[in-house]
Amino acid sequence: MMELYAYRCDACGELHHPRHFVCRKCGNTEFTEEVLNGKVRVLSWTKVYNLPEGYMQPYLCFAIVKFEDSGLIVSVQINDDKPYIGQEADAAVGVVKEAIGKDFYGFIVEPIAV
Amino acid sequence: MREVGIVGVGHTKFGRWNGSFLDQAATAAVEALRDAGVDLAAGKAHIDQVFLASMGVGQVNKISGAASALVDTINLRPAMAETVENGPASGASAVKLAYMAIASGMADTVLVVGAEQMRILTGWESTDFVATMSHPDAEYPYGLTLPSFAGMFTRLYMEKYGLTETDLAIVSVKNHENAMHNPCAHIRLVPSLHAITEDEDADVINPYVADPIRVYSTCPMSDGAAALVLTALDTGREFAHKPVRIAGIGQATDTHVVAERPDPLDLFAVRESARKAYEMAGMGPEDIDVAELHDAFQILEIVESEEVGFFPRGEGAKAAREGRTRVDGDKPINTSGGLKAKGHPVGATGVSQVVEIVRQLRGEAEGRQVKDAQTGLTTNFGGFGNNVVSIILTTKEEG
Repeated sequence: MMELYAYRCDACGELHHPRHFVCRKCGNTEFTEEVLNGKVRVLSWTKVYNLPEGYMQPYLCFAIVKFEDSGLIVSVQINDDKPYIGQEADAAVGVVKEAIGKDFYGFIVEPIAV
Repeated sequence: MREVGIVGVGHTKFGRWNGSFLDQAATAAVEALRDAGVDLAAGKAHIDQVFLASMGVGQVNKISGAASALVDTINLRPAMAETVENGPASGASAVKLAYMAIASGMADTVLVVGAEQMRILTGWESTDFVATMSHPDAEYPYGLTLPSFAGMFTRLYMEKYGLTETDLAIVSVKNHENAMHNPCAHIRLVPSLHAITEDEDADVINPYVADPIRVYSTCPMSDGAAALVLTALDTGREFAHKPVRIAGIGQATDTHVVAERPDPLDLFAVRESARKAYEMAGMGPEDIDVAELHDAFQILEIVESEEVGFFPRGEGAKAAREGRTRVDGDKPINTSGGLKAKGHPVGATGVSQVVEIVRQLRGEAEGRQVKDAQTGLTTNFGGFGNNVVSIILTTKEEG
């Protein structure tokens, strides 16, 4: 199973995603990887109809979500046609783009049924 | 530091350019040089430096060293030459570099050209081209584009401040009305506010691009070029126009990853670039008679009008509804038609904004002239606000 990581600064503990070369808080350059998963909450979302080349769908939904455990905020694809602000979802990792000879993996969050 | 002014402007008709990239850039450049009264004969132009701003000349047109090619095309050898790539803020960055070159004493007179050809690409290709400025790991591979971020930003702003889709459409119609008086504008038609908001066919006339952003609340893909001649004010050289003085320039950056910003509705780099420009000019928002703000999406015109200090936070849309940002309002914004209707050839936009302000301050903005305009502001927005340049121009004497 694919996993995505957060990067915790070895000096001050600040958590980053994506990886930063220099800690955005203390300036340290050493990090330890931590698996980034769990529940997220939707902060905002959009449904996009004019996708760039390489995405053979009529539309895709995107969201900015906040991980409930770590507080990290990331942009993701969301597997829901009608997301809403405050919606709960599970962070999963999947293929976000299929290119010739290479797949790109990223967060595709799955809404939790209520 | 030496004082710097603008003595020549040039601008192609934005839209579709049926020719080469270099012909388009040269057309704007020659118009600006002639506007300044510069002799184009070999060895007589006395242009020390050329900056060519373009986001895609390497990526889209497959031309490297484009500034060198432009210098030769318009007979300005042996002028120094550099191509400037800073995403959609390339144009204003080139103006800043020209200012620095002159103010430092390295050059006396500089030509700045911004040029882009986006209509040679398909819609999918151009969307991908613009998206290359997003984060290469955390955003771009997801299919996240600039409209995606604008859509999520708009939804949050709606949630917090009660903005409506009609508010966005009001700003759009205002800019389309202004473009009717700008012969260089890409789109010269005025949509009916009713047709794009309340009509039973509004979803067809004005479909969603990135919900809640619709076609009429985002800019088109355009070809276009704009050019400026900048000169030191202490050389005694005569030009065809009295200089419009550059009073202040500010630039600031923000996080590359949009989701990393502490407040997702905070356009810090807009506010900081404007603050620096005001400080350098010794002015404030109350001194600005006319502004060109980077309305790639109508939400950006609204929020930038707040971040540069024209209106309190959350009241930009109210000001637009009240007509305060119209040509005859107290804070006219995007008299050129803005990116919405004049068009947005990305690397040319920052230069084009300055061209409009120079025309306003010279009193040449026929049909859209702001009465007694003496000082103007431009804000050129790169990425989704991760690199922003603001410029203040004035006809007032220093001090």
